Amino acid sequence: MKPRDASDETEIKRTLVSDRDLGFTMLVRRYQPGIYSGARRLTRLHEDAEEVAQDTFLRAYRALDGYNDTRIRDLRLRGWLWTIALNLCRTRAARPRQEPSGTDLDRSTTDDSPIDAQAWNSRLSRLSSDQRAAVVLRHVADLPIRDIAEATGRPEGTVKADISRGLDKLREAMEREETL
Amino acid sequence: MNSMEAQLAGLIEQPPADLERITVTEAGAGDLVATVDSRFGPLWVAWSRLGVTGLTPVFAVPTIDSFLEHHRRVSYEAPALPRSLESDITDALSSGTAGGLSLDLRGVSEFQQSVLESCSTIPIGQVRPYGWIAKSIDQPGATRAVGTALGKNPIPLLIPCHRVVKSDGSVGNYAFGPEMKRDLLIHEGAIAL
Repeated sequence: MKPRDASDETEIKRTLVSDRDLGFTMLVRRYQPGIYSGARRLTRLHEDAEEVAQDTFLRAYRALDGYNDTRIRDLRLRGWLWTIALNLCRTRAARPRQEPSGTDLDRSTTDDSPIDAQAWNSRLSRLSSDQRAAVVLRHVADLPIRDIAEATGRPEGTVKADISRGLDKLREAMEREETL
Repeated sequence: MNSMEAQLAGLIEQPPADLERITVTEAGAGDLVATVDSRFGPLWVAWSRLGVTGLTPVFAVPTIDSFLEHHRRVSYEAPALPRSLESDITDALSSGTAGGLSLDLRGVSEFQQSVLESCSTIPIGQVRPYGWIAKSIDQPGATRAVGTALGKNPIPLLIPCHRVVKSDGSVGNYAFGPEMKRDLLIHEGAIAL
């Protein structure tokens, strides 16, 4: 059969219970672009983002083997996937490596988009890791606060504060750039 | 000028086009599909991380789209088979025995799996009646169900369902027509021309 297009969370969970492999392909199709985009802002190289976007799902697939039907139905899929993805991003961030070369062009800057992704990478890199993760998950990957709290293991109130302080710092950075 | 939040939302990027295929097939949740040449013309072959999952002559299912619809597992088109797999399949087709070739029958019912495993023990050059398979899996009354299970064999030729014939010795049905079944059995020396 052909891979099925993106479906809603309930349908994906129902399919994971009835046909693990088909459900998994729906999970990847639905959520991998968001994980990749978020990881692209939380890791320095696009190779890292690709690895995170792949390994997150390979780990999720293996984890599903140990889950019974009730546990699968109770999953909040994006929060669960991001718990795995954030761990992988942290592991990669801790690796010693060379600075990105000029060939690590950000795709967002090569199309017609007026958004300067490299400038955003630079601004985001000045946030604390908790603030960066919270801002990226909320505003790039479009996760609700509850899922971010699950993924980061921090209370919702703390996540909201991380986002608010992170956005303040980003705004200040942009204002500084404008005055230069 | 976009608002800051709108600019952050605009940082969404599509992953590389092949990332879904790589992820799904690496996990073993989906298959790759390519063709291999045979004396029946090209054959569609689907394979997973664990082994061959499907095989169908192109003459029976002429397009990749129709094969993907027909195959029981999620599959993605590959440019070619890995060379070692291609050579193992070619050897298996010419020798009439799958030998060490790994076959992946996940997704096939337990009953069908036992029927196909029993069928795989029939040596080249020999035939067995449907009832023989039924007895071999300790279900002597299930002759008709054995026929149905063999008719849905996802890996024909490599699992030699063509070696199962009617109890009166006539060749019986075959998914790709009785002529192809007769041709296979003559080629293998199981029946006379």
